[in-house]
Amino acid sequence: MNSSNVITEDDRYRSSTQFRLWSFTPASLLALRSTTNQLAADRVREAVRRARAREAQSSADASDADPESKSRATSTLPEGELDCLTVEEELKLIVFYCRQTLQLGKHLNLPTDVNATAVQYMKRFYTTNSLMTYDPATILRTALFFATKTENHYYRLSKFAEAIDKTKPEDVLASEYLLTQGLRFTFDVRHPYRALEGAVMELCAIAEGAIPNNGVAGEMPRNMDYRCKVAHGTAKEFLKTSALLTDVYFHFSPSQIMLASLLIADEELIRWYIAFKLGGLQNAMAQKVLGTLADCAQMLRTVEPQMQSPAEESKEARTLAKKLRKCRNPEKIDLVALQQTKRGGDNANDEKILKKRKLEREKVAQEAGDLFGPGLKKP
Amino acid sequence: MALSPLVVPGSASGERTAATAKSKLQAASAVTSSSGTPNPNNGPPPGSGGADLAEQMNEDEKQKYIKGKKLGEGTYAIVYLGHVKSDPSKLVAIKKIKIQEDYKEGLAPDAVRELKHLQELSHPNIISLLSVFSSRDQNLNLVLEYLPLGDLEMLIKDIEGVRYGAADIKAWMGMLGRAIWFCHENFVLHRDIKPNNLLIAADGGIKLADFGLARSFADPYRVMSNMVITRWYRPPELLFGARSYSGAVDIWSIGLVFAELVIRNPYLPGDTEVDQISKICALVGTPTEENWPGVSKLEHYAVPAPATPIQPVAHYNSMFGTAGAEGVDLLMKMLILDPRKRITARQILEHGWWKSEPKPTKKQNLPKKGGGLEKLGEDLKRGPGVLDDERGTKVARKLDFGSMK
Ligand SMILES: Nc1ncnc2c1ncn2[C@@H]1O[C@H](COP(=O)(O)OP(=O)(O)OP(=O)(O)O)[C@@H](O)[C@H]1O
Repeated sequence: MNSSNVITEDDRYRSSTQFRLWSFTPASLLALRSTTNQLAADRVREAVRRARAREAQSSADASDADPESKSRATSTLPEGELDCLTVEEELKLIVFYCRQTLQLGKHLNLPTDVNATAVQYMKRFYTTNSLMTYDPATILRTALFFATKTENHYYRLSKFAEAIDKTKPEDVLASEYLLTQGLRFTFDVRHPYRALEGAVMELCAIAEGAIPNNGVAGEMPRNMDYRCKVAHGTAKEFLKTSALLTDVYFHFSPSQIMLASLLIADEELIRWYIAFKLGGLQNAMAQKVLGTLADCAQMLRTVEPQMQSPAEESKEARTLAKKLRKCRNPEKIDLVALQQTKRGGDNANDEKILKKRKLEREKVAQEAGDLFGPGLKKP
Repeated sequence: MALSPLVVPGSASGERTAATAKSKLQAASAVTSSSGTPNPNNGPPPGSGGADLAEQMNEDEKQKYIKGKKLGEGTYAIVYLGHVKSDPSKLVAIKKIKIQEDYKEGLAPDAVRELKHLQELSHPNIISLLSVFSSRDQNLNLVLEYLPLGDLEMLIKDIEGVRYGAADIKAWMGMLGRAIWFCHENFVLHRDIKPNNLLIAADGGIKLADFGLARSFADPYRVMSNMVITRWYRPPELLFGARSYSGAVDIWSIGLVFAELVIRNPYLPGDTEVDQISKICALVGTPTEENWPGVSKLEHYAVPAPATPIQPVAHYNSMFGTAGAEGVDLLMKMLILDPRKRITARQILEHGWWKSEPKPTKKQNLPKKGGGLEKLGEDLKRGPGVLDDERGTKVARKLDFGSMK
């Protein structure tokens, strides 16, 4: 890797939508998420009020109609005062569902970049949409499928749906449009993987003497060759998990994320590398860089670098998912029907079909439970 | 000094992101206030309730443009003329993605690719994507810069109406070269370069369009489809079924656009894939283990016997001599059979042709499409077929002669 390549790498990043549309200061990101959460909570309350009013109306209209249909209708509506998710609770649940996305991707044997892109789609989507509005177990399947398209990893829809338990092709497609809108029609995600390979190649070349030590950082770290390889592995784990599950993509460039994960892996080695690149550590540039990398590393450390949720996190997620079930927007549950109404498809006006689908779907949703969505088929 | 991967986004970026978030918040508060106090009996029906933040942002984009008459139709989209609502003099092209009847897997791959790449690439010689929004029926609309002067194919074909010379070709090729260099620099392969995907802007500049087949090539070993690039412009490695390839595929296509600009006819117009390979063998040379180590191992490698040697400079001079010695040298390097030896986009920009005489025509002086009702009088400083100088006349005659071969 020579210096001119590295510089254009950075220029390229600045012209990317990831930088232009999807980079935030922590404060502005929190503000955005709070607005989204507030708006969704208000709308859930309105929607539930509307639904209750309609129900009251229809039961008054036909007080002696089939009692079974009445009870079935009420059962989908939450009762009592609505207790909506807070922003913090939504964030915890999103991490949980992003882990689910990674696990589903692994189950489907999808390559790293497809999984990584799908998780970023989830995170981007839920900055302007709330879990209370759109069911994350549904959106994650759509995100994964859509990522196979954007990352050129062709996967037949019918096969894709088949590989996931209780999932029909139309379930995957119904929220595709919503997803693309939530992504503001920007599909490119810049990952730190290539940058990691570049930096590790350079480190190895220095260790092997192929690139001479310029001396500005002093003597080479002991055992450098071996340590480069170990750091490579550790950093890769962080990039495949913690980097995706935290907010680092919203706040740092791919190169920064990559270096921060290397720093976590072997601080002495990477500080030496930064000194080597920046002519020591005392200059203003190096100080600024170290500050940024420390911030990024700190954020990376907040989430365990593993795909499975740790027990504690998983327990909390279960509780939150239960809470979510009681504050979902009843008008946004049947996404397939919603989609057909919007598209104005031929079937959309066919009340009977719509109703049948709705009942089917409710049944499936109840069976499967909301937490994990439909389960995975055993491979 | 290589410090840039370590550079912290500066204050400018901080302001920018803060501003983005702010506008989102404004959109949000507008929604909250407009939804007002809900009335259970009067409220919107299920599914059409107040807008989400994302929906509202989409609506804001849509409101900025007015759609006008239809301009044309392609396989996956219909293109309309449009203008900016606040300034009707600002014209745009609105490309509405059709819902495909026979594609049941959601948003079509062409649309996904075009959107993905155009959102990222911003360059004077690549068509710019100004905005994206969806209409009520969930059709995607791409708002593109309006390019009213047709495409390069129209100019090439209109032999009577449009005369052009070596300096003009150099100008067009320069713009095309910079466009593809920029794509490759950003790790994007276009995979469908041909004259009718090179649109012409009001100022005469060339814009590379139609990214429906484009893809990133971050990982050079990843298997890719070989069913890309319109046949006449398709390089031998794809015809032989290579599944891992590089920017060299686009370079071959550029070489054939160059050749076509000079002779005003497609250079290798194969009727079928087999015929395409025969034409390459006859007019460029037969790919063999000697000139392209490893070629015989490609899945569909098959060439007519006996092998034709690589065409010598004399052949190119006789057909493409009007491009000058440097021009012929560049063309030959673009048409090197072995993709690993073919010239790269960066090397193209460093080639001696650009510095040799004649200098490329300034884009505002480039010939434009002539005649007909579409003629834009004020843009045409010189009428179709009227040449501005001696040199042009000579070159154009030679070019016309070339096209009759
Ligand atoms: N930016 C633009 N400005 C002006 N006209 C345009 C623009 N883009 C497209 N057009 C017109 O709309 C027509 C359709 O364009 P589109 O890109 O959908 O398809 P195409 O390139 O002609 O065909 P294909 O289906 O092979 O891609 C074009 O032939 C052209 O006349």
